[in-house]
Amino acid sequence: MNCIVLPALAALLAAATLASAEEPAASPPAAAPAAPAAVPAEPAPPPAALPPEPAPSQAAPGGASPLARLLLLPDVSAIGRAALVYDGLDVGTLSPRAGTFSSEGEPAAVLEEVELGLQSVVDPYARADVFVSFGPAGADVEEATLTTLSLPAGLQLRAGKLFTPFGRLNAQHAHVWDFADAPLARERILLDAGGEVLSGPGLDLAWLAPVPWFLEVHLAGQDTVVAEGGDPALTGLVRVLQYLQLGDATTVGVGLSAARRDEGRGAFRDLGGVDVYLKHRPPGGRSYASLQGELYARRFRGREGGSDLAGYAQAFFRRGAYLGYGVRFDAAPSAAPGIEGTEQRFSAVGSWFLSEFQRLRLQVSYDRLPDGKDGVEALLHLEFGIGAHGAHPF
Amino acid sequence: MRRALAALALLVMPALAAAKPKVVTTTEGLAALVREVAGDRASVESLSRGSQDPHFVDANPMLAVKLRGADLLVDVGLDLESGWLPPLVTQSRNAEILPGGRRRLTAASAVQVLDQPTGPVDRSLGDLHPGGNPHFLTDPRRAAKVAAAVAERLAALDPGGAADYRARAEAFRGRMEAALARWRTALEPARGKKLFTQHRTLTYFLDWTGLASAGELEPRPGVPPPPAHLADLVAIARREHVGAIVVENYYSTKSAETVAGISGAKLVQIPGDVGGEPAVKTYEQYLDVLVSRIGGALR
Repeated sequence: MNCIVLPALAALLAAATLASAEEPAASPPAAAPAAPAAVPAEPAPPPAALPPEPAPSQAAPGGASPLARLLLLPDVSAIGRAALVYDGLDVGTLSPRAGTFSSEGEPAAVLEEVELGLQSVVDPYARADVFVSFGPAGADVEEATLTTLSLPAGLQLRAGKLFTPFGRLNAQHAHVWDFADAPLARERILLDAGGEVLSGPGLDLAWLAPVPWFLEVHLAGQDTVVAEGGDPALTGLVRVLQYLQLGDATTVGVGLSAARRDEGRGAFRDLGGVDVYLKHRPPGGRSYASLQGELYARRFRGREGGSDLAGYAQAFFRRGAYLGYGVRFDAAPSAAPGIEGTEQRFSAVGSWFLSEFQRLRLQVSYDRLPDGKDGVEALLHLEFGIGAHGAHPF
Repeated sequence: MRRALAALALLVMPALAAAKPKVVTTTEGLAALVREVAGDRASVESLSRGSQDPHFVDANPMLAVKLRGADLLVDVGLDLESGWLPPLVTQSRNAEILPGGRRRLTAASAVQVLDQPTGPVDRSLGDLHPGGNPHFLTDPRRAAKVAAAVAERLAALDPGGAADYRARAEAFRGRMEAALARWRTALEPARGKKLFTQHRTLTYFLDWTGLASAGELEPRPGVPPPPAHLADLVAIARREHVGAIVVENYYSTKSAETVAGISGAKLVQIPGDVGGEPAVKTYEQYLDVLVSRIGGALR
């Protein structure tokens, strides 16, 4: 690395030396808008006493955006996602999905969504998180939830419109995924054609068990819609999520989910899922490796359709602050008309985190249908975030 | 028999320990200060390790488990932990450790904050802290103020130990006063000399030592240095006789090595906090290391 940098540096150095000779006032680059190196040096060391450190500041005592707090504004953020996409397969017909794709052989530019977030505590008892998504299909309230802060006995209630806490990916917003899209397995099993995420208005009661590891049990009831324009139907869910720490660097999470959707006239859709997440991050750095996988099962009762199984497994390696690489294998029932069997998809992603607030990804996938038809997809994906710096979910 | 006693002790000890206030801090530096103030009266645990960059801790749900039973949460504030602490506090269901809560002490509220932006702030300036520089525990005067604030809060939560907490905080202040004189003497030969840092982590250290910064390796907070910036730094180093490039051990030293190699400034690696190196177990040891390494390089 140094051998590449040094010659370039030497050249730049000459220029910089010249520039600085002409401009003696060229100050060191300021990191903060406050005067950079102008830390007022004390004239002389005071006589062995502590008083020179002045009184506490009147600034807001920490937390996000102190100025916004003063004005009682919620934290506002916007996250934009856009992509250039090329598909070598007629995805619209042979592998219909909610994610970004182009017509066969015709590259396309797509604005996936702009997600506007408004987040704040409501009062001492609850906080609210509202996410509105603006996309090519229009605007939609993705999530709008009230979360209790002070229920007793380790209980926490979320009410409003929420992503169903079924498995790992479904409960996350797209911009926190390692890959630019969701695996086919999730939407083929949890949703019908055209559905993006299992969600809907309802309640999610979560109990944090009083044990030395993380053990959370969710009971949720929601009216979910599984396809665009479909009818809402009551869905009940149980989820058990556990995390264990193995040493200072490794954390393992395992979740089990079961849900039943009442589809009327004695018909039900039963869903089951297992999700596993393993993250290894030595504390001294930004690099980490993670393994993640989910299995989804579905069985229809009292209506057409049998049982289905699908899943994915992925590995992601974050190399320092700026780079990340991942691979994913995905298997799901084919959704192509007249083609029965399992569709397989292999994806690889390279991520470049330009800063905490921008990332550029190149994702290449190979899609193979059960009848042997196949195709490659390439996705150049840009994501940015402005406004309040939200925390990264684990 | 001995085994039976040991087993009994294991059973009884958690019950006894439960009577102690449980203090959770976000960093090991804060934990060290709480230990100075509370001694054996409270149990203290830090959510992050001293070898970790406190800006980039994972919001690991295991940390929410630690917060669930916390009698007091001490955080730094000024957005240092904004990338990971807020969801953990929500997840913990411990309403009293919410910002402003009875069991939440934000250390920044006890000290005078430097590097507060005076003009408009946006992220073209990098990932800066709009409320000011949160790395104030490199200043023993401010550390003593934080210790006093911890003592007051612990006294309110555990009135039985109030006198003890206050006395220990006062004793810590006294020790810091003595140490300050010692450290200033040690740094006397380096007074007025200049250094570079990776990030703006030593503002408060410079404030009390009389050393000066000539710039940062990061052109803006959180932004990696391009070669042109490193070249600028080399020019500055030569012009202003910068003696040291001080880098916390959780940062890569690549850029620092490049600038040091050309300019002749010494690369100095320091622990980022108490616990940042195995031998650095107390706050005083942490500052001892800072003073001896930085002072030694600038001498």
